[in-house]
Amino acid sequence: MFGTQSRGDITTHDFNPMMMQYYRPSIHTRRANIVVKFQDLYGFNVEGNVDDVNILNEVREKVRQQGRVWWALEASKGANWYLQPQTPSLSEGISAASRKLSALANTIALKRLIRKGIPPILRPKVWLSVSGAAKKRSTVPESYYNDLIKAVEGMVTPASKQIDHDLPRTFPGHPWLDTPEGHASLRRVLVAYSFRDSDVGYCQGLNYVAALLLLVMKTEEEAFWMLAVLLENVLVSDCYTDNLSGCHVEQRVFKDLLAKKCPRIAAHLEAMEFDVSLVATEWFLCLFSKSLPSETTMRVWDVLFNEGAKVMFHVALAIFKMKEDEILMAHQVGDVLSILQRTTHHLYDPEDLLTVAFDKIGSLTINTITKQRKKQEPAVMAELDQRLRRLNSLKMDDSSPNSSPKQ
Amino acid sequence: MATMGNNNLNAKLVLLGDMGAGKSSLVLRFVKGQFLEFQESTIGAAFFSQTLAVNDATVKFEIWDTAGQERYHSLAPMYYRGAAAAIIVYDITSTESFTRAKKWVQELQKQGNPNMVMAFAGNKADLEEKRKVTTEEARLYAEENGLFFMETSAKTASNVNDIFYEIARRLPRAQPQNPAGMVLVDRPADRSQSAACCS
Repeated sequence: MFGTQSRGDITTHDFNPMMMQYYRPSIHTRRANIVVKFQDLYGFNVEGNVDDVNILNEVREKVRQQGRVWWALEASKGANWYLQPQTPSLSEGISAASRKLSALANTIALKRLIRKGIPPILRPKVWLSVSGAAKKRSTVPESYYNDLIKAVEGMVTPASKQIDHDLPRTFPGHPWLDTPEGHASLRRVLVAYSFRDSDVGYCQGLNYVAALLLLVMKTEEEAFWMLAVLLENVLVSDCYTDNLSGCHVEQRVFKDLLAKKCPRIAAHLEAMEFDVSLVATEWFLCLFSKSLPSETTMRVWDVLFNEGAKVMFHVALAIFKMKEDEILMAHQVGDVLSILQRTTHHLYDPEDLLTVAFDKIGSLTINTITKQRKKQEPAVMAELDQRLRRLNSLKMDDSSPNSSPKQ
Repeated sequence: MATMGNNNLNAKLVLLGDMGAGKSSLVLRFVKGQFLEFQESTIGAAFFSQTLAVNDATVKFEIWDTAGQERYHSLAPMYYRGAAAAIIVYDITSTESFTRAKKWVQELQKQGNPNMVMAFAGNKADLEEKRKVTTEEARLYAEENGLFFMETSAKTASNVNDIFYEIARRLPRAQPQNPAGMVLVDRPADRSQSAACCS
């Protein structure tokens, strides 16, 4: 069945974060440090030790507390105060000025509040608003998404084949994503997007991003618009197109920032010939969804949608920063990688990460990052171009097998 | 690059091949002895390490399992740079994946480390009834290109450990002994003398 299906029924059981039962470690698991399997806030089956379970239970409690903060503010500031203010009216005078002032105060309050986390139940509404997705959606007819999925239904393209291949390989085992219904929903979003932007088509990595969006947003259509605003407005352009040039640019910017913000780590890794892109490429393409626990990923996305792509750098730098001492002790590429892997997989408490990301890393302005990107773009283009020419010369050799390889 | 100290060898190994050919499955079978019908798609690359005992030495493989989608091609040099070995994987039920595998071989021959040990793996050998690439065709190609060839199945585990052992056996051992604590690095400057004669 095609259509914008409400997934409200799903969010009311299985993995509704507010309804999740506490996992109570038995006396036996407390006695021994055994690996326990449990479901996290978004229904993912994860393995961890008893400490991880305890942290996750604390996080659940904090999520509830944060919810109460939002409800209290709604009571004092009015419902939906956090949605983007409408364009100020043209009427002049004190009232317009004071409205502007109160809008500004709200923006500042909201920024602080979002860094502390959006309650899962409010995420769809707040994300749509602060990211600009709602605005983007409002520029096209309401039936846009439904028309699009109907128009492309049954069409087979290289992108749709690759999407089909990846559906069962996207968070396999998840109680909703890995069901026929979940696969069908993910497929519609990804195929629809591949038609909306044929330069992107389908890029592996988007499957994970879209899957998490489906878990958070209320409808498939909302997930689609969040994906659109991410690729078209939030992230650097060409992150997922053809040769991933945008992603290459971000990696170079990240290396420069690491040298500036964490010079000891950068120097140590360089001496080991450890290229940080080895690990950071996946972070940037999957927006941490494959590395961090789900609620931590969502907390990163809360800030990402409100403050923009600079958040990716804050968080990536923070992961290195948190393990500075351990990394400086490591002398093998493999050891650094396992430190980072272990760290990201166990970051069940989002505060641990976000405190470092925003308090210890210091400020990064959008301007700085834009300048850095401009600086790196020509080098990336030259490198990709050179590579393309080399590959083309391989093809020429291929067509005349007797010709001697060029010196 | 393979580096040696006492009788222990560290070797960087990269897996390349079309998406869905079974690169991650081969690694998972080798490293953990497991097989998943639906293996998560790899983004960028995933890292694993595994140590093998070969004769009187041990080989520690540092394995880079790369993403297969064509557009990820532009990231590949970062992973195969300095690799001592590569496994180029195709799916015996897909001629497209065989074509892609041949392109990888060409690229490594041109861009990779000249002493790289290259293995050519025809994976999913358990799916005989769906076979599109004959064993003979692949064997011939591998022989012409100086690769060693095996058909593997990550599902049944057939030839999976064997291919890694065979790579370990073929890794060049006759490297100059490193002074203690130093790591051999393949810097362009080291080759400047020999390079100077080519113009």
